[in-house]
This record gives sequence, C-alpha cells and structure tokens, in this order.
Amino acid sequence: MAEQRDDFIIALRYALLKKGTQQKFSLFFLIIFSIIIITLDKLSFSYIQKTRSVLNDLIYQVAIVTSSPEKFTKYVIKLTYDHYAVYKENEELKEEIEVLRNEKIQNEYLLTENTILKEALQLAGSKSLEQDVSIIAKVIIDQQSPYLKSFLLNKGSKDGVMKGMTVFSKKYLIGTIIESNFLTSRVLLINDLNSRIPVIIENTSVNAILTGLGKDNSLDLQYLPEQYQLATGRNIYTSGKDGVLAAGIPVGETYTDKSQQVKIRSLADLNQALFVNITNGQLRR
Amino acid sequence: MITVKTISQSFIKGLPLIFLYFLSLNSFSITSSIPHFEVFSFNLQIIIIYFYALKFPEYLGFGHVFIIGILKDVLIGTPLGSTAIRYLVLCVVATYIRNVTLRSKLTTEWFMFIPALFFANLVYFTIINNFSNLAFYYEELLRITFFTFLFFPIFYPLLNSHRKLYKVED
Repeated sequence: MAEQRDDFIIALRYALLKKGTQQKFSLFFLIIFSIIIITLDKLSFSYIQKTRSVLNDLIYQVAIVTSSPEKFTKYVIKLTYDHYAVYKENEELKEEIEVLRNEKIQNEYLLTENTILKEALQLAGSKSLEQDVSIIAKVIIDQQSPYLKSFLLNKGSKDGVMKGMTVFSKKYLIGTIIESNFLTSRVLLINDLNSRIPVIIENTSVNAILTGLGKDNSLDLQYLPEQYQLATGRNIYTSGKDGVLAAGIPVGETYTDKSQQVKIRSLADLNQALFVNITNGQLRR
Repeated sequence: MITVKTISQSFIKGLPLIFLYFLSLNSFSITSSIPHFEVFSFNLQIIIIYFYALKFPEYLGFGHVFIIGILKDVLIGTPLGSTAIRYLVLCVVATYIRNVTLRSKLTTEWFMFIPALFFANLVYFTIINNFSNLAFYYEELLRITFFTFLFFPIFYPLLNSHRKLYKVED
C-alpha cells in the first residue's frame, strides 16, 4: 500500500517537475504562473486592467485576420442552406404579407385615434426613446462559447463606448457592453444566461425579468405572477425599472412552438447581427 | 545551415502548434457551422493537447500550451489564465499516464482520457465559479466533453500519421 502511494507520488512529482526534451518550463512552474495571473485578474488593479485592455485589443486584431476562413466557411454554408430554403420562405412571406396588410389597416385606425386622444390630453409632441448617443459599430468576432454568449465590436473607449451602454440591432435591443477596450468592446447578448432585463408584457401590467437560455434566440421570463398564463403573439418591452435602460424598448415576443407551448424569442436575430447601434439607453424627454 | 529540407522539417514538426494557435484565435468548428450539426460540437484543441502531451511531448512545448490558453481566455471572455490552467492540468494527467504506462494502446489511452477530461474540467469550473460571475451551460458543456471523448479515436490515426510524416522527413 505504502509502496503504491510512493509510486504515485514519484510519478506525479516527475510529471509536474521534470522538464522533458525541448521543454523550457516545468508544468509546476506554469501552473503557479497561471494561478498568479488569475489572482491578479481577479484583484483588478488599475494597471492590470490597462494591461488586459491592451492585450485584448492586440489579440482581437489578430483574431479578426485568423477568423476570416471561418467567416467564409459559414457564409458558404449559409448561402447553400438559404438557397434550398428560399421556396418555403417565399410561401411563408406571402402569408405574412397578408397578415401585415390587415394589421396595417388596423394600425392606421389606431394611430388616428391615438393622435386625437393625445391632443385631448395635451401630450402631443412628447418624445420617447430618443437616445443621447448613437454609435454604429461592426461585429468583428462572433465568439459563442459555452460560458458567454457575446460579440466583439470594432468600437472602443476611443469612440466613446463605455461599460453598461446598450446595443441595438435593427432597433431591437440585443445586449449591453460588458467590456470596453481602447479599440474594441464586448457585448453581452440578451440570450446569455447572465443577462437580466426588467421587462413588461404588451397589453398587460405584468412585470418580469427577461433572461437568456443560451440557445439561439430563445429567452425566458422569470418572476412572473403565480398562475399567470403567457399569451402568444405578445411583444415584450423594457420596463426601465433598472434605471439604466429606457422604458419601452422592444426586446422579445411570445410565440407558439411546434409542441404548442408558449415560448419567448428575441425580436432581433442575434446570429445575423452585423452592424449594431450603441447608445447610452437613457431617455431624453 | 538552413536548407529547404530543414525548413520543411521544422514546419512539419511545428504543424500541431501552428494548428493549435490557429484554433485558439478563432472559434472554427466544422460541425457548429452546419445547421442541425451543432450538436456534434467538440473541443479539438483538447484532443490535440492530450494526444501530444501523452505520446510526443517533444512536439508540444508546455509554454506554448500556456500561451494558447491565455489567447483563448481573452477571446471567449473567461478569467485570464483559467483555460491555460485547464490545458496544463490536462498535460499533467497525460504526463502522469505516460509515466505509469509501460505499453501504449489506443484503448488504454482513450479510456485514460476520461480522468484527464474530468480533472481538467474540474479545475476549470472551480476557477470560473470562484473567480467570475459567469453561469454555465452545463448541458452544452457535458455534450461537448462527451463528443470530445468520443471523437478521440477518430483523430488518433490522423495525429499519428503526422508523426510518421516527420519520421519519413527525418
């Protein structure tokens, strides 16, 4: 028993300390070095943050070049897939146009009614959802990992991008800035498990917290009232209760899936976002 | 003296490292790009690192493994050094297995990949849990780890052929 233990210790010590042929560092030294780096990163001293910011910028720039074959492969695969899906999509779009035509007529009526009512309440002309800052940025790396669903953008603190700013794609909220380097920044997407957005459901006064599920555009609502049944076809807007995001920003919608269950999905296609708008998300009334 | 032969030899010898650096700088994965095939995603870097640390460590400097881990951390946004330590733990287990094994066989090496993956992931998850606020997609991680283990024998002859190629050049 003791001999076996000794053998184990000897083999392990050999694995950790012995430098093999053409090895400059032992594994033990490198593991200790890694632990020091992790600790320094956690402590977040200002000079560490600056070093990390420079390192991030450098690596992101190299990654843009090296990820070009991947982008091309994805593009070719998507093109092939889209080509075969075009007939089905055309049929669906025709049906959707019919529905939208009907909705347009209804909306025009509601718009007229709304204007009349606003005039009556002397609220006409009030502005909402007007952003103080709007920076257009390009998605340079779409690095989806099992830990973080995020995008890397080509605008950083040099262009006024700061941590906490909100990011939109085609007028829909897609995430918030969680890391701002000098030249680049990282967006935490709304479909990430770590994302939490206070929202309100259309035509109701129900408040909830919108979280990500980490799968494509799927989202989830937490802290809904007990026994509350989610209806299909409802839009979900930010409630503005966090004091960071403006109220009334469209985020998601409810729909019925194949198994006839009501699910929530993002209004923006998070996998297709190429250019995004970065704003400070505050209202200017 | 630098000749075409020495350059080609150095290139062939450095192929796994070049490929590892390439993989660490982008999320290239054939399976994840094809619709409906994302389910077969696996971590090719782990397979390559385990294979070379176990069989031909002279081709794979541990310093490079450390840098590759740091690059990956920066790109995926995990705490700096966490992926590096994951790969190094994988190397420790692989080196330990090499030391205690007399005759190497595919089946033995394949099944010893389970404890290697277990310890590497254990250290990695512990660090992420304690040093960051990131949440895990456990289902996805388990699936990726399973397919990484499952695909090891597929890449085994492929990676072995690289060794043969180098021997021929030698």
